[in-house]
Amino acid sequence: MLILAVDSSTPVAGVALVEDHRVLNESFINYKKTHSETLLPTIDRIMRECDCKAADLDALAVTVGPGSFTGLRIGMATVKGMAMAVNKPVVALSTLDTLAANVWASEALIGALLDARKNELYYGFYRSGDQGPEALLKDMIGSPQDMVSQARQLLETGQRLILLGDGYYRYSAYFEEEFKEELKAMPGHLSLPRAAAAGILAVNKARMGVFEDPYRLRPVYIRLSEAEYRLGKGEM
Amino acid sequence: MKDIYILGIETSCDETAASVVKNGRQILSNVINSQVKIHAQFGGVVPEVASRKHIENIALVVDQAFSDAGLEYADIDAIAVTNEPGLIGALLVGLSFAKGLAWALERPLLAVNHLHGHIYANILEHEDIEFPAVCLVVSGGHTNLLLMEDINNYQVLGASRDDAAGEAFDKVARFLGLGYPGGPAIQKAAQKGQAGKIKLPRVFLDRHDYEFSFSGLKTATMNMKKKMEQAGELQLWDLAAEFQQALIEVLVEKSLQAARQYEVKSVLMAGGVAANQQLRSLMEERAQSQNIKVFYPSLGLCTDNAAMIAGRAYHDYIRKSYAPWSLNAYPSLSSW
Repeated sequence: MLILAVDSSTPVAGVALVEDHRVLNESFINYKKTHSETLLPTIDRIMRECDCKAADLDALAVTVGPGSFTGLRIGMATVKGMAMAVNKPVVALSTLDTLAANVWASEALIGALLDARKNELYYGFYRSGDQGPEALLKDMIGSPQDMVSQARQLLETGQRLILLGDGYYRYSAYFEEEFKEELKAMPGHLSLPRAAAAGILAVNKARMGVFEDPYRLRPVYIRLSEAEYRLGKGEM
Repeated sequence: MKDIYILGIETSCDETAASVVKNGRQILSNVINSQVKIHAQFGGVVPEVASRKHIENIALVVDQAFSDAGLEYADIDAIAVTNEPGLIGALLVGLSFAKGLAWALERPLLAVNHLHGHIYANILEHEDIEFPAVCLVVSGGHTNLLLMEDINNYQVLGASRDDAAGEAFDKVARFLGLGYPGGPAIQKAAQKGQAGKIKLPRVFLDRHDYEFSFSGLKTATMNMKKKMEQAGELQLWDLAAEFQQALIEVLVEKSLQAARQYEVKSVLMAGGVAANQQLRSLMEERAQSQNIKVFYPSLGLCTDNAAMIAGRAYHDYIRKSYAPWSLNAYPSLSSW
């Protein structure tokens, strides 16, 4: 099962080529250039380095959100184009699931947090299961305070809380103040979404035959666009 | 020589479009998914809403372009895409899709300037255009008068200092309560009225250059409406007709003045406003006596479409002017 996984849902541009349980090649770029400039050259390099062509893939995987609206669309449009060109199935992955997969075999409660701007977070809570992260509460949007109160409800006595994602960094001082010794942060190489993790999760999904129709696939924005929101409130 | 089939993709504003064009001339398919009804409820194009519709529609639209053309994906020689100017989020959907498709098919990627595409719509339909030519580009985002030495060389003679011509149509239509999009709304209203009964200014017509300004005309129209309302004698159709005439006369006169100065035999019109019937007939009427030929695309090719993108890209394909995988999208025009 050979899968190319693409993630551009946050400031990180990630591409990974995964064959069953093996990660063959991975790129993680958290640097200035835009996804539009970096994504396809990275895909091209990774595939060349592994002597692979699009036709060799069994499936393509993409993180579908939540995340940056434009970033999500760049990754998804690229994957749709590739999938249709070679008629390969697409596996869709939640950005939050992918982030939570950075933690494995832990007893802690896992909070995956993405910076949603406007003083809000996209977040989900997970426990670490045998096959990867198991969502307890997913695809939420709210203030850091909302997130903290939900974490408190889910935390069991004596259980540690692991927080990760760019949403954690944004409000780390506040979270440390709230949770003190209960809180554990992840090191830099495990704190942001990894395309390799998306690839591994995608292999599991593909084996279970969970694919998306590339024609119908759309990002999971969670939030309405500003104009739709205002129209709904009768402001337009 | 082998026939060249190019797929064009266009998502710069509120139309998701794909088309296959053979040898830069023959349109084999021309699929356009318009979002105009969706944006009408907001009174104009909302960029984020447009981007969301593009990502939903792009795969279906491209697939339709292939099936309408009777071609398989592997039959295509290159993929062309609009990468400037336009709404950045919207452009990025088409660009990213085009890159993924081109890369996986192992075909070259071609970048097309949206406005070059609009101009090329003329060349798709007319074989008798003589160069050099003067070209008037009038759309919702641009108003430019250009001198074209040939298909690849553009010299800017003038541009609008403020609103684009199409933008003025949209704003005035909204103010007059005629609806959206403004061009067709004003054209329809103007047919019921008569130009000349009310007087509005022909801005910059007395200047001997090729600059335009439509903001003053817009304000004069708004002031005229208020004045008429206060007097209790609002003639909405006459006002719409006079606004349209005032704007169009300036476009026509400056285009023909440029044609005389540069001694060219052809005037081309391009962009959404080139669909305006009054602009077309006035340009033809006044050009005829000066022995100048006027060209414009058919109505379907005046508004945004991907056939003009696929057609224009043929000339880059021939000279192997391919785009890199790092190609980016840009909201404004980097150069002609």
